[in-house]
Amino acid sequence: MGRRKKIVQECERLMDEPENIRNIAIAAHVDHGKTTLSDNLLAGAGMISDETAGEQLAMDTEEDEQERGITIDAANVSMTHEYEDTNHLINLIDTPGHVDFGGDVTRAMRAVDGALVVVDAVEGAMPQTETVLRQALREGVKPTLFINKVDRLISELQEGPEEMQQRLLSVISDVNELIRGMTQDMDDIEDWTVSVEDGTVGFGSALYKWGVSMPSMQRTGMDFAEIMELERADKRQELHEKTPLSDVVLDMVCEHFPNPVDAQPRRIPRIWRGDDESELAEQMRLVDENGDVVFMVTDISMDPHAGEIASGRVFSGSLEKGQELYVSGTAGKNRVQSVGIYMGGEREEVEQVPAGNIAAVTGLRDAIAGSTVSSVDMTPFESIEHISEPVITKAVEAQTMDDLPKLIETLRQVSKEDPTIQIEINEDTGEHLISGQGELHLEVITQRIEKNQGIPVNTGEPIVVYREAPQEGSDEVEGISPNRHNRFYISVEPMSQELVETIKLGEASMDMPEQERREALQEAGMDKDTSQNVEHIHGSNILIDDTKGIQHLNETMELVVEGLEEALDNGPLANEPVQGTLIRLHDARLHEDTIHRGPAQVIPATREAVHKSLIDGQIKLLEPMQDVRIDVPNDHMGAASGEIQGRRGRVDDMYQEGDLMVVEGIAPVDEMIGFASDIRSATEGRASWNTENAGFEVMSDSLQRDKTMEIRERKGMKLELPPSIDYI
Amino acid sequence: MLTFIGLGLYDERSITVEGQAALRSADRAYAEFYTSKLIGTSVSDLEAHHDVDIEVRDRAGVEQHPEEILEAAESEDVAFLTAGDTMISTTHVDLRLRAHDRGIETRVIHGVTAQTATSSLTGLQNYRFGKATTLPFPYAHGAEGLPASVTETIDANREEGLHTVVYLDIKVGQGPTSSQNAKRSDDKVGHERTEDDEYMTADVGAELLAEEYPDLVGVVVARAGSPDPLVAAGTMTDLAEREFGEPLHLLVIPGECHLLEADALVELAGADRDALDVV
Repeated sequence: MGRRKKIVQECERLMDEPENIRNIAIAAHVDHGKTTLSDNLLAGAGMISDETAGEQLAMDTEEDEQERGITIDAANVSMTHEYEDTNHLINLIDTPGHVDFGGDVTRAMRAVDGALVVVDAVEGAMPQTETVLRQALREGVKPTLFINKVDRLISELQEGPEEMQQRLLSVISDVNELIRGMTQDMDDIEDWTVSVEDGTVGFGSALYKWGVSMPSMQRTGMDFAEIMELERADKRQELHEKTPLSDVVLDMVCEHFPNPVDAQPRRIPRIWRGDDESELAEQMRLVDENGDVVFMVTDISMDPHAGEIASGRVFSGSLEKGQELYVSGTAGKNRVQSVGIYMGGEREEVEQVPAGNIAAVTGLRDAIAGSTVSSVDMTPFESIEHISEPVITKAVEAQTMDDLPKLIETLRQVSKEDPTIQIEINEDTGEHLISGQGELHLEVITQRIEKNQGIPVNTGEPIVVYREAPQEGSDEVEGISPNRHNRFYISVEPMSQELVETIKLGEASMDMPEQERREALQEAGMDKDTSQNVEHIHGSNILIDDTKGIQHLNETMELVVEGLEEALDNGPLANEPVQGTLIRLHDARLHEDTIHRGPAQVIPATREAVHKSLIDGQIKLLEPMQDVRIDVPNDHMGAASGEIQGRRGRVDDMYQEGDLMVVEGIAPVDEMIGFASDIRSATEGRASWNTENAGFEVMSDSLQRDKTMEIRERKGMKLELPPSIDYI
Repeated sequence: MLTFIGLGLYDERSITVEGQAALRSADRAYAEFYTSKLIGTSVSDLEAHHDVDIEVRDRAGVEQHPEEILEAAESEDVAFLTAGDTMISTTHVDLRLRAHDRGIETRVIHGVTAQTATSSLTGLQNYRFGKATTLPFPYAHGAEGLPASVTETIDANREEGLHTVVYLDIKVGQGPTSSQNAKRSDDKVGHERTEDDEYMTADVGAELLAEEYPDLVGVVVARAGSPDPLVAAGTMTDLAEREFGEPLHLLVIPGECHLLEADALVELAGADRDALDVV
């Protein structure tokens, strides 16, 4: 029997003992060494050979990942580790660090109970460190910290013990400050800060495969001085043998991360809004392998042989081949064709996967990343919200007509796999639109379409996605139906940032019970009467029905909503989506007979009323912004900050960190296209930088009209604005 | 001058003599057939019969862009034609008001309409009708099942002992095959349908109403104004199973019947006297 087969068997045996299972994710800022660390763990568990760990990047299975040297998809692997004489099953997900792929990180967090946050000792906590921590904590996932690349402090920067200690402590305190800030409003979480004394912090070098922590020092008897000595003397192999990284980290995982039995009672109320007194809730809290099957899909991938694979977390029951399961949001059931676990890039089929584990399932053809799959009809899990909305769009068309149907199918598949991608299929023109998190995100997606699916495509220039939003409350405006027998009286007002966030995060949605929605909205600052009249939520906009006792309005409301959605999806300025608007329906006058208040009457009337009131509310164009951080040697600082300022950007802060200057600022995404090559040439390649989507901001007044016209022209819209838009 | 002329119920000869004279002397004639249609004729037959050119306007051409009609009416004699009567079961009073806004003189030449034909053919007394309602195709109104406005109207009338006329949906030039409605259409079968036109037949209407009122007596009035009109009574469940031939159809739900009304329904519509509420 091969070693691999043995590991699979051992994993299968351990799957039934939830107390000994740890579901974890490794997450970090880009290039802080997650994937190299994962390889160490795999080698430690005997899954890949010791020598190749680090070079192999076993988790980066896609060709483009190995080429680019970054992780793009979250990858899963199961391994075993003996800790305190008990064998543990560790299900690990490696996640991408680049900001464009943040959606993968958020989804991975749903499947796990612990997050090993990796921070580069030299760079310290970076913007993505903060982001992944927030993603973990919001899902109720407990963090521990591994400080990587300590070898560089010793060998490259030649730091002495005190200097080094100070640096490491400041990394720890930065991370703790983030954790404290993010958890202070979370009642169900006590103190999740990390500390060396507790053993929730590890240090080491993933590259040279050694690690150290308080418990490991006690166990091996090696102190820091000894480690520094060996590292300085270039005796890294000896260091690795004496205190291997994988033991340090896997011990930490077993000791400090909660097992599913500990974690699920805390996590279920955070991620599921169903009846907490039901039997199903109890089964999920108890990780009951004999209960009803509840499986949350966090990732969809394509296997050339097996087809679509849904992976995710089993919260209750046991997944088995042949089960007929409900998929949330779709009618009918799907039949499970196979169940398995991940071993590196490959899937191993097993008989069954019980509650508390991460499983890979085929046959769930209706599932998308985020689906709840279950043996009984149930309230689905909270949608996995990724805060970033798409900011960049690219047109894609097949080079040859024959590929048209295949391209459409592939695009649908792509959006199924990655819900942070939005696609817009246009079968008439064949020019489809894909929208994503950034240039790199779209580039990777289009390359995969070409390479993996073999469909040659032409792509357009990347186009930035805009938004429209009113700047003040409007008067009550009348919308009249074409036959003039139906009238709607509507006003709009901008919503507070807090309310918008509440809706975007799904903390208030139309899916939840009315009472809960009211409370969530009131908590975000909405007054009581308004929260009771919420009729519909569309994007980040809310429709409030303030009417009282209007006959026939009930059966007309669906058409009102349809007209409203049309009006909001295509704003009055440039047909861009409207965001953050509260729409009030004050009154309506309807024709007696249904036939004279049908779609042809109500939809245009509502649309007109919404657009007129948005214009009365001084609607303006918003553009997506990015936070930019550039680390650069002192003598290139001017050039670096110039790159931000020259892009209609604003530099907010400049400070020294180590031997580098840090420039922090914000700039419009539109101007950031092509930033990578410009900053490289401006700083002779000496800068490292990071960008992060920072939401939408109102464009400056001087650009409003020109940009509006530019978009209208691109979309083939009329080039005159309605005369009422006289304020831009 | 803008003259609203009702074309009557069935074909090119259903117009009144006065209407015919006005139409023939008009400088220009517009018509709309999206609220109803003359089943027994076509636009070209109408044109040939009256020796006029008729410009047919769609809904947008009347409701959203009536300027052309109004501008013409400012200087010429313009006729505006609809099936039935121009002001019954339509929203054209709006067009008349817009004309008045512009200082255009208007007049109405009445046509025979389904409302009166229903009384005539069934023997139900026009004094005893309550509010009328229209039963829309399920895809054409916003919600599932029977619209509340239909059931509320029927219930309120019955409460008062009044008869209810239930008009059946007509979609002319905007049936389920036209793009506007394509996404709304379900695969409901059983109603008459030409390429773009769609008429709800009485059996389909009765089937929809039977969900709520399986044992209620209804009276079908089919092809009023044609040479072979049909009047037939039965329970909704019953009517749903039968066929009533070519459109147009409508349904009447009798309330309390006076003796002679009951006699008429038995004699003219084949009603079961015991099933009627006779006072």
